Amino acid sequence: MKWLATGLALGLAFVIQSALTLVLPGPGRLLDPFLVVVVYCGLTGGETHGMLAGAAAGWIQDTQFGGAVIGLAALTKLLVGFAVGMAATRFLVSATSARLLVLFAATLVDALVFERLALVFEIAASEMSLRVLFVRAVANAVLGVLALQAFELRTRHEAHS
Amino acid sequence: MAKVVETRRSRLLLAALVVSHLVVISHQVDAGGGASLLERVLFEIFSPVQTAVARVVAGVSSAWSGYVALHGVREQNSAMQSRLQAMELELDQTRQRASESERLRELLALKQAIPLPTVAAEVVAREGLPWFRSVTLDKGTRDGVALDAPVISASGVVGRVIAVGPRAARVQLLLDRDAGVGVLLERSRATGVASGQVGLEDAGHSELLMKYVSVLADVAPGDRVLTSGLDRIYPKGLVVGRVRSVGASSGLFKEVLVTPTARFEELEGVLVVTATGEPLTLTESVR
Repeated sequence: MKWLATGLALGLAFVIQSALTLVLPGPGRLLDPFLVVVVYCGLTGGETHGMLAGAAAGWIQDTQFGGAVIGLAALTKLLVGFAVGMAATRFLVSATSARLLVLFAATLVDALVFERLALVFEIAASEMSLRVLFVRAVANAVLGVLALQAFELRTRHEAHS
Repeated sequence: MAKVVETRRSRLLLAALVVSHLVVISHQVDAGGGASLLERVLFEIFSPVQTAVARVVAGVSSAWSGYVALHGVREQNSAMQSRLQAMELELDQTRQRASESERLRELLALKQAIPLPTVAAEVVAREGLPWFRSVTLDKGTRDGVALDAPVISASGVVGRVIAVGPRAARVQLLLDRDAGVGVLLERSRATGVASGQVGLEDAGHSELLMKYVSVLADVAPGDRVLTSGLDRIYPKGLVVGRVRSVGASSGLFKEVLVTPTARFEELEGVLVVTATGEPLTLTESVR
């Protein structure tokens, strides 16, 4: 059930990302719905769930939205998912503010790891300025937390009824 | 005890996954890129969804402009205003059709001007990762599209196919930092390599950097930049852009900024060159 839900969430993230790139080609690049799903999986399912969801999300991004060399986003998201899962087992991250912080940090780590890997493998990739990176992290954190809250409210409501 | 075993298992899994990803990436870097079987399979699975999303987005946009946006106005206005709106809507649709027709006419003219087999394709998705510049097309191997096939629009060279499935293909735009095209200046015949240099902030006013231009070469702003054909990917003579400025020389070469003629942010329909295995050369520049 957990994996089915993860698959559905990744499918939804894929649809959102595809639609965003068409409707808002510029600002759409700032948001990363896949990262929100990976962070949520890490927070609720632990490091194994987080890293496997991260690998799956990254492969979708690599093959559908990436450059000529695939696997960079997969490796990056795998590591992010694992790190978030590990943090979730050691710290209390169920509060909204904590989730906000985790999403913010995950976006920063995602970008830094990706750019570092691209550098190591000598793959030319556009660089993000600190300002853009900050805007991306804030956008992902705020919209991600809102999405997670909405999802959990709905889940709770369905459980009650 | 169970917790320790679980932790150890997840660490081992992490190590295995990291190593396998590093191997996969290294293999591609060594092999110079290209679509693997896994990539082709994943591409084949997900590209129909992107095509469907593109259709839904188009449908919703059409519904929004045709009904939702006008809903409040319709409630407030008289029958005469409704009629006016209906006519305006009709006019909008006519304009849209005219624009579509103009775009298709341009593509057709380009298709006829290029003495190479091409297939027309529609853009169904754009890049989702901020580090790359790519688009997804609705045509694949079933339509004759092959890996490395050049992609052109009515306004200029767009890029090359970097992944292809039976019904879709992903195109690396010239704006991508990893892209490169052999170019020459139409006036002085000086050659070089143009590549993307955009960052995330540069969207909308992107330029190409023409490298390896000799300090002795005659380059002036406004010069037309064409494909040279030396990269064995793009046919010779296609318009890439115009020289915007000439930078200071560093050593043997000078750097030239080129404004691409292709309108990357507005790409809808493109042509994919389907000829393979033979040298591609145009006798004169197209457009």
